[in-house]
Amino acid sequence: MAEHLIEALTYAPIQRAAMACVLCGASCSLLSVFVVLMKMPLIGVSMSHAAFAGAVLGMLLNFNPFLSGFTLCLLVAGVLGPLSDRTDMAPENVLGIMFSFLMGLAFLGMGILTRTKAGALNLMWGSLLSLSGSDIIILALITLVLVLFVFLFFKEIRSVLFNRRLAGASGVPERLIYYALLFLTGAVVSSNLATVGGLLIFALLVQPGATALQLTYNLKHFFLISAASGISACIFGLIVSYIFDLPSGASVVLMATTIFATAYIFSPKRRSTKLRKENLSHENDAR
Amino acid sequence: MTKSQNIIDLNEIIVRKGKGLLLEGISLSVSRNEFVGIIGPNGAGKTTLLNLIAGFERFEGTLSLFGHRETWMRSRETRLRVGYVPQLFQIDPAFPILALEAVMTGAIGRLGLLRSIGRGEREKAMRLMEMMRVDHLADRPLGQLSGGERQKVSLARAILQEPDILLMDEPTANLDMAIQKEVLNLIDEIHKREALTLLFVTHDFNMLPSAMRRAVLLNRGKKVFDGDINTALSGNTLSRLFQYPLETFERNGRRFVCYG
Repeated sequence: MAEHLIEALTYAPIQRAAMACVLCGASCSLLSVFVVLMKMPLIGVSMSHAAFAGAVLGMLLNFNPFLSGFTLCLLVAGVLGPLSDRTDMAPENVLGIMFSFLMGLAFLGMGILTRTKAGALNLMWGSLLSLSGSDIIILALITLVLVLFVFLFFKEIRSVLFNRRLAGASGVPERLIYYALLFLTGAVVSSNLATVGGLLIFALLVQPGATALQLTYNLKHFFLISAASGISACIFGLIVSYIFDLPSGASVVLMATTIFATAYIFSPKRRSTKLRKENLSHENDAR
Repeated sequence: MTKSQNIIDLNEIIVRKGKGLLLEGISLSVSRNEFVGIIGPNGAGKTTLLNLIAGFERFEGTLSLFGHRETWMRSRETRLRVGYVPQLFQIDPAFPILALEAVMTGAIGRLGLLRSIGRGEREKAMRLMEMMRVDHLADRPLGQLSGGERQKVSLARAILQEPDILLMDEPTANLDMAIQKEVLNLIDEIHKREALTLLFVTHDFNMLPSAMRRAVLLNRGKKVFDGDINTALSGNTLSRLFQYPLETFERNGRRFVCYG
């Protein structure tokens, strides 16, 4: 079987798919650290649906689907950012409305498109095997920007993740970090429409971060574990899909869930937290 | 600062929420190194007052900090000079941050972008944790600390920022009595050791730091008293202000409030 796989890697489409896998896993899983620690999965969902709807509309109107997806993402980010700064409405409700509106928009476009273009379905499920070279270059550039962002602003990111309000109060440019994050989310999500697709990407925006949450208290390790689990979900998902001839996006997502479930079951943190809760908290207070 | 030594100057401040008013024309001056209690029942506007000084709230009227007019948008320099200690907040026990790292987040704004946290900051953070008696917890995940311990970490974090004003929003709320007392003593110690102007918001007349000499009483968005803490804590004043029968008694030179 190994020989068979190595032989497959000599084909250009498979090489591109393998590369895209690593990039998709890396970019989504780095973002998922923010999605999980800032407790904003709904923002992740809304953004991925914005990208999806934008790309579908782009196809409908003969624009580049990546660019139209990205544009709609930025529009949504532009609405979500100020919204989350306001205290007079529950962001969950607005996100819910936005999310279903975008979903409706996307499906409307799909309904019209499937009669004319078969490619539209790929935006939904992704199709690793039909990627072009420029898809890979865009993905690589965006992943690089995201890695640089995390690397250069690590200490600010830590303080914003910990508590946005406190970060702002102590002179950290928390808005800058937050908006950069929304912008990067839009970029990552829209560039990954081609890899895992607009519906399944959400799994990769949550599961790697949730996996890391089971395993470490160290934020650096958190990013690394998240990236490792995201990349391996993509690679092993692709291998499984190749061997058993299954849809690649679905295999990747199910692989991510398997990795999360394994981390959850064997989580050293969960066990120690339970123990601590039972024994230590009262003792601490008595000190 | 020609006008005065006032470090905080509020003049006829109004804060609106929807059609209502959270603050109705509050004026307040605080001079350097003062320790002021902002005391009042729920909904009095205490937290709003603190938030507007911290720069979290839009307002009408004039506000000056360190002799300069400010809006709700603040420069980084001004933010750095105003520290903030929030009420005990929930944190996921699994959240990846250690107590020492949480303290060090206080230095990040001061250091500025693209500069790493050096050993000096780390040592400062450890010294502050020692002062707050939580140095033995430095390597423990913050989410696993008790409420009292987390508030002490929060105090250390705010002081590491090296502010001139420290705003505290009910820092002892939701803590046991013994832990409340301990945190209050630490706040007294902060006031003694650091040259800081302190504003302390609370609804609890009986759990006050002993270094606090001045009380500003708020009720329904208005300032109803501003003066010596012992005058504030007289049964007559309180019952009249809050329209509720309250009595006070004295013990060991301190006044306490109870239901009449």
